[in-house]
Amino acid sequence: MSATADLLCAALAREIAESGIRVYAVTSPATVAAGLAARELGAPGLALASGFTALDGSPVPQLTLGERGLFTAGPALRDDPFDTFALLARGRVGVAVAPAQLDVRGRTNLSGVGGEAGRPKVALPGARGLPDNNAGPSRVWYLLPAHGPRQLVAAVDVVCGAAPPPTSLRRLLTPAGCFELGHGGWTARWLTASGAELVSAVEAFPIVADGAPVVDEPDADALAAVQRADPRGARTVEFAGGPEAAELFAKIGKLERDAVD
Amino acid sequence: MEMHRTELDQLAGEIDDGAVIGIGGAGLQRKPIAALAALVAAGRRDLRVVSFLGSLDVELLLAADAVAELHSAGVSLDGGGLAPLYRAARQDRTIDFHEWSEGTLLCALQATARGVPSLPTWMALNTDLPQINERLRVGNDPFTADPVVNVRALAVDVALLHVPAVDALGNAYVDGDLALDGALARAAGRTVVCYERVIEPEPSRAALSRLWVDAVVPSPAGAWPTGCHPSYGADLDAVVRWASGGKRGEVSLLTRESSPA
Repeated sequence: MSATADLLCAALAREIAESGIRVYAVTSPATVAAGLAARELGAPGLALASGFTALDGSPVPQLTLGERGLFTAGPALRDDPFDTFALLARGRVGVAVAPAQLDVRGRTNLSGVGGEAGRPKVALPGARGLPDNNAGPSRVWYLLPAHGPRQLVAAVDVVCGAAPPPTSLRRLLTPAGCFELGHGGWTARWLTASGAELVSAVEAFPIVADGAPVVDEPDADALAAVQRADPRGARTVEFAGGPEAAELFAKIGKLERDAVD
Repeated sequence: MEMHRTELDQLAGEIDDGAVIGIGGAGLQRKPIAALAALVAAGRRDLRVVSFLGSLDVELLLAADAVAELHSAGVSLDGGGLAPLYRAARQDRTIDFHEWSEGTLLCALQATARGVPSLPTWMALNTDLPQINERLRVGNDPFTADPVVNVRALAVDVALLHVPAVDALGNAYVDGDLALDGALARAAGRTVVCYERVIEPEPSRAALSRLWVDAVVPSPAGAWPTGCHPSYGADLDAVVRWASGGKRGEVSLLTRESSPA
């Protein structure tokens, strides 16, 4: 299993459990694993919004987000798709997102890198929900598989998610640790063993890290809960890259098929 | 009253070149691939495609050079990585790409459904989307002068949906997330629902009322390689094959000749 996936999922699970949010919107297998684990870590009533019309479901951390877990558990069989955005506007939801770029002001990008407006040099999937969740009062975590100059920049190439309001809590989880956006910029809440070195290597994305505690290992209880939620390791795919990601995708996909058969 | 039933070949003959096609499903779930393949086989060209969260649906149409315009909040192969032809089309600007957020695309469909030329929203404010997408214009609310994004209505000629089941009346049943299928149906001049099987009517459980359905089309395994829960999951091997080898003209990789079913 990927150490990065375990570290970040465990940290996210603990963050969600302690946040007090009532609805958590899942966006990927890793975020499903963290949400399910959060229920074990002190938020048993946490609703998991697992689709645009299934806002109180029980998803499973499958590579395709586990359609069989998307039935709504609440009294309404179907939710209006606009409910997702109403929850965001009312500050009643938390979501973890993985933008390709995050900048010093908390702006996000999943559209493209380089090039010109409307014609990126490197096209990415597209804005998705970033313009809808970043500038509102809801809770947002940025979950990045690496702490480097490609992901963390002075200014994003395309502003998909606007700078968040000062009153909205924004935290960043990377292999370097956990960071919070405040009036003066980003500060470290805790660092991994290699965190200080990783932070100082990204000059364009300054972080105040003095005095931050060092966390050597993932929270054991949170990690155990994540592993129970995701025994096949679907969470690892999104923290890998290139051929390794393709290999993991095929391998875990086979495990999922075998489990169904 | 029995629902009008048609066949895929006949359906393709009823859709004109240049039509605005709204594709249901999201990501690797419930894409009407067989119906799109029928359009490709019939030689349809210059389609204007609306795919909320696209994947192999968009890739298939791009592979066939059938797309003039694409409206989407994002296209990818989920855990399988980036969508190769979509990426190339944006980088080379070979199609007219309209980038939306999830929420603003929903607003555009809802505006059409409500019969108004535009709807104001807070979503996408202070982002680059209005610079990229001419259908998003920043203005001021007439009552408060607060900044808003005015989202132009997006009308769809034909919505093509794929569901696991319909009944004889034309009600559609979806186990899992309905995504934006309901909004597409309400914004479309005509809604065609492809289905896996016919079940006994149970209207209170229907995900989409027959009020919004104009025709149904039998299409067993017709979402392949995407999934159609509970009938079958996404074919992750096929997704990986496409991610690594998908090219223009390679339509057969995504059509039934390649299906294991």
